[in-house]
This record gives sequence, C-alpha cells and structure tokens, in this order.
Amino acid sequence: MIRLAEISRCFQGVIPSMIVTADSRGIPNVTYLSQVHLIDEKHVALSCQFFNKTRRNLDENPNAWVEVYDPLTMQTYRLRLRFLHSEKSGPLFDAMSLRIQAIAAHTGMSGVFRLIAADVFEVLSVEKNEGFLAETPEMSEETSVDGLRSEMRGLQYISEQINRAGCLETLLEAVLESLDRFFGFEHTMILLQDECSGKLVTMASRGYGESGVGAEVRPGEGLIGTVAQQRKILRISGLSSELRYGRTVAREAGNMNPEVPLPGLPDAQSALVIPLTLGDRLLGVIAADDRDPLRFGEWDEAYLNIIANQIALGVDRMSDDAEVSFAERQAAAPAVVPSSAAKRVFTFYANDDCVFIDGEYLIRNVPGRILWKLLGDFQREGRTEFSNRELRLDASLGLPPIKDNLESRLILLRKRLDEKCPDVRIVPTARGRFALQVGATVELVEK
Amino acid sequence: MRRTPIDEGMSVIVGTVSPDGLPAGCRAICATSADDLKTMTVYVPMATSREVVANVATTRRLAVVGSYPPDHSTMQVKGTTTNVRLAHDSEQELLRLRLDRFADVLHLLGVPRRMVRSMSYWPAFAIDMNVEEVFEQTPGPKAGTPLR
Repeated sequence: MIRLAEISRCFQGVIPSMIVTADSRGIPNVTYLSQVHLIDEKHVALSCQFFNKTRRNLDENPNAWVEVYDPLTMQTYRLRLRFLHSEKSGPLFDAMSLRIQAIAAHTGMSGVFRLIAADVFEVLSVEKNEGFLAETPEMSEETSVDGLRSEMRGLQYISEQINRAGCLETLLEAVLESLDRFFGFEHTMILLQDECSGKLVTMASRGYGESGVGAEVRPGEGLIGTVAQQRKILRISGLSSELRYGRTVAREAGNMNPEVPLPGLPDAQSALVIPLTLGDRLLGVIAADDRDPLRFGEWDEAYLNIIANQIALGVDRMSDDAEVSFAERQAAAPAVVPSSAAKRVFTFYANDDCVFIDGEYLIRNVPGRILWKLLGDFQREGRTEFSNRELRLDASLGLPPIKDNLESRLILLRKRLDEKCPDVRIVPTARGRFALQVGATVELVEK
Repeated sequence: MRRTPIDEGMSVIVGTVSPDGLPAGCRAICATSADDLKTMTVYVPMATSREVVANVATTRRLAVVGSYPPDHSTMQVKGTTTNVRLAHDSEQELLRLRLDRFADVLHLLGVPRRMVRSMSYWPAFAIDMNVEEVFEQTPGPKAGTPLR
C-alpha cells in the first residue's frame, strides 16, 4: 500500500477532494471536500461544517471512498475509509478549526462558518488511480541534503543575528532579511502587540513595495488576527481556493459583512502565520505569504516556528533594555536634517487619538501622543532634546507602568516620520535620550 | 441562473455503491441531457471507471455532482442507471471539447491547461440514467435542499 506520507501534497487542500458515501438503502451521495487532514499513516480526518447528507450517511454506513489530487502532477489517489468517531474538542479539532476560523474571519463569517466536528477515519487502503493521466507529468525536484544543510546554516545565522542585535529595529530587520536570503521567504512581516490597545501593529516588513509599517490588525481579525487570538500556527495552501469556498458560504448564508483585506500580497496563494509567544503571553505575529500555492510545507513551518521563538525571546529582552538599545542607533543616524522652506501642517484629532500630516494619516494612539508632545514642546519652548524617562513619567501619554514597549513605539514613530515626513526626524543622541530634528516650518492644529 | 451538471466547464463526479455497501466513484468528463434533466448521460473514462461501471451494473444506483469551480455553484442529481455502453466514436469530439472547456475554466483560476488536458478521456463509457432527485449542493446552509 502507498504510504500516506508519500502523497502528503494531496492533503494541503490546493485541489478539492471528493467523497462518496452511501445510506443504509444503498443510495450513493457525492460531495466535494475542501481538505482531507492527514493525522498519521492509518488515519485521516474530514471537516464537518454543516450537518449534511454525508454526515448522516456515515452514521448509517461507515464506509467512505475519497479521491485526492496531487496539485503538482494532477495524479489522483483513492482512499477507502471507515468512519471511527467525531471529535468536537482537543488538539485535532483545534488544528482543523483554526484554518476555518481564519477563512471565516477574513470573509466576515466568524461564528457562522465554523467547524462542528473533526470526523476521524481509519484508512483501509490507498491506491494510485492508474490510467487517470494519459501523459506522464514532469516530476518535482526533491530536496537535496545540500539544501537541508543550507537551511541549517540559515537557522544558525538568524539565531546569531537575533542574539547580537543591539536594538529591536536591527533585530526585526535582520530576521526578515535572513529569511529572504536563506529560506527564500520573500514576503514577510512582523507585527507586535500594543499592550494598551491590544491591536497588532506592523513593525517591520519586507517584499511588499510599501513598507506597511504602522498598519494595525485587531485580534480575531483575518488570518493574522485569528492566529494572534488562538496563539496557534496557521499554514494555508491554495489560499484563493479556500477564500472562494468561504465567499460561497457567505453568499449562500446571505452574509453582508465586509471582508477583511488580506495584509501583505493582495494575490497571495499561500500563507504561513506564527504567533510570537513567551509562555502564554502574546508578543506579536510573524507572517509570510507567497504567490505559489504550495510555497510553505511542514519543513518551513518547523523552521519558522523555531525562529519565531527566538524572535519572541529577543523582543522581550529588548523591551527590558529599551533605553540602551534605542541609543545604540545613534551612529546610524545623520546629525542634522537638511533645512527646508517647506511648511508642514500636523493635525491632532483628540477624539480619534491620531495625527495627520498635511491631511494624510500619520500615526495614532501612544506614538501619536508622543509625537504631539514633542512637537508641542518644540513649538512652545524650542526644545529639541528629550529623554525616555520623561516620556515614561508623563501620564498624559498613557504608557502602561510595566512592559511599556516604549522602544517599539519610538521605532514605529521614527519609521512613519521617515516615510511620510522626512523633514521631521527623531534621532537617538545618548543612552535614553533623543533629539527632535525639524527641517521645515511646522504648524500644529488640534481638533 | 442555476448551473447544472450538464453545463460546460463543470467539474463532474460520479458516485456509486456496491451491493455490499462499499462506495466508489470517479471523475466524469461531462454529462448531457436532451430533456431538461429528466434523463441524463454521463461520460466516464474507461481507464478509471471499472469499479463504477461494475457497481451500476448490479445496484443501478447513481449520484452525479456538478460544480463550477470559480464560484462553487454545485448541483447533485440521483437516479437509476438505464444503460451502460461504450461511447461512440461520434461522441469523442464532444468529450474533447468539454474537457477543453473545463481546462479553460480552471485556467481562469491559475491551473495550466496542460494539467487538465493530461487527463485520460478516451475511450469512455456512456452511462444513461433516469434522474429521480435533484439537490442544491452549493456549500452553505442551503446545501442538500431538494430542487425536484
């Protein structure tokens, strides 16, 4: 019998599988399956999302026939199955449910489009469907030992980068650059959780054109928010197929909720999203996506999970040592901003807690309040030198008393200014101190 | 407009069951009907339909599902087999054209046409059936609703 591990590509959900069952009267029923979940060499699980005919048939006749597709070669394999039991909780249920929750969250169907049970089957036989293809397809390239060695070297390199990073910004950028260089992850982003708002804020990204730094995701929202909420790894292949399925269910259910735009590539076909956690505490999320529907396999998941754990430790270390690390950026920053005759209008919207620059959104929440304080002090008193300590003592900024993430908030503010208003910069000057450099005429408006 | 298994570009699957209750199926090339789905003919490749043909020869029960991949619009028909025969040479061109239309539809979703065209389609069996039940099967809360 063919081993299930040999045909693992068939279980990535890129091409829908099909199942045939029959009731006690001998009437067959055929339906498509979005995914067959591989448990081990002797067992698979199917998702039960609706109490449908297939489910009723299995209670009357436990035999089932399933055909799965290899998405690279189109070869099909036939599985004879016997239904064993349904699981409505536990690790298997959680793993299968996460994928559905993520798609539901994206398509505005949270709570409606959900897993009812994971139906577990014994695999009685697996056969290649001989004769299905008239032509022999090209075989895919197998992973070589050299490939594995270079991935191990990549892990070693990234681990060193994290260990040596002097500041959070260096750490995040080094990780994304290394993932691209050693693992070919061309489109990646790291979001950290803002402990005040609970939202995830994009702190670094690579391979998306615009950086997207500052973009926010609520827990439970879309793929990234679902991973943050559940603290579980999500790997999806054939993303467009999954989303089409979710949209069909939403349409059939008369759902009018808007979709959550996919962060990252608008035409992503696969995604790998991993929570950054320390124990039960969520620090953020690392996400990679790609236009190749089969880009991320179990191997990638394992590697990125190791790296995610290292990032979490590094981020936590940085937040305990913020004053030293931000100052270490001094050497990289130019001493002055070239003066400019330009006029920049900053508008602070107190109700929304956000700052606009020349009518365009710049930043919100704590980093927005920090910027408003710095600009106010500059305009009223001509101050340009500030300290981390005074920010921590300023109750109007709303920093939490412990784990205030001041480091990441200042990085976010500096990056947003670099992108949207290079005339105004924040430059570290010494341990726990920084300067506001203003190279334009600044007008402040509060609404 | 509700799509049916006889429409062009549909993904068509056949389901059967043996006398001792073991289900079996296969992908069909296409289905046709000359009388608004009162009867239907479904074409299955000879290379992959041995078990299906053996089952309908004994139990005669048949289920056929057709789904349109871009939006998952799906319908299932069930009924009784009236005849199984080798598809005539005159039908080969129809089967090739319908496989091409299916390749066109999947191409819209990013699947290379050569992938679909590599599937066996000839020689084929033609299975004639009386359609007795029709069900909505588009994924969602209405899946399983009888339409006839």
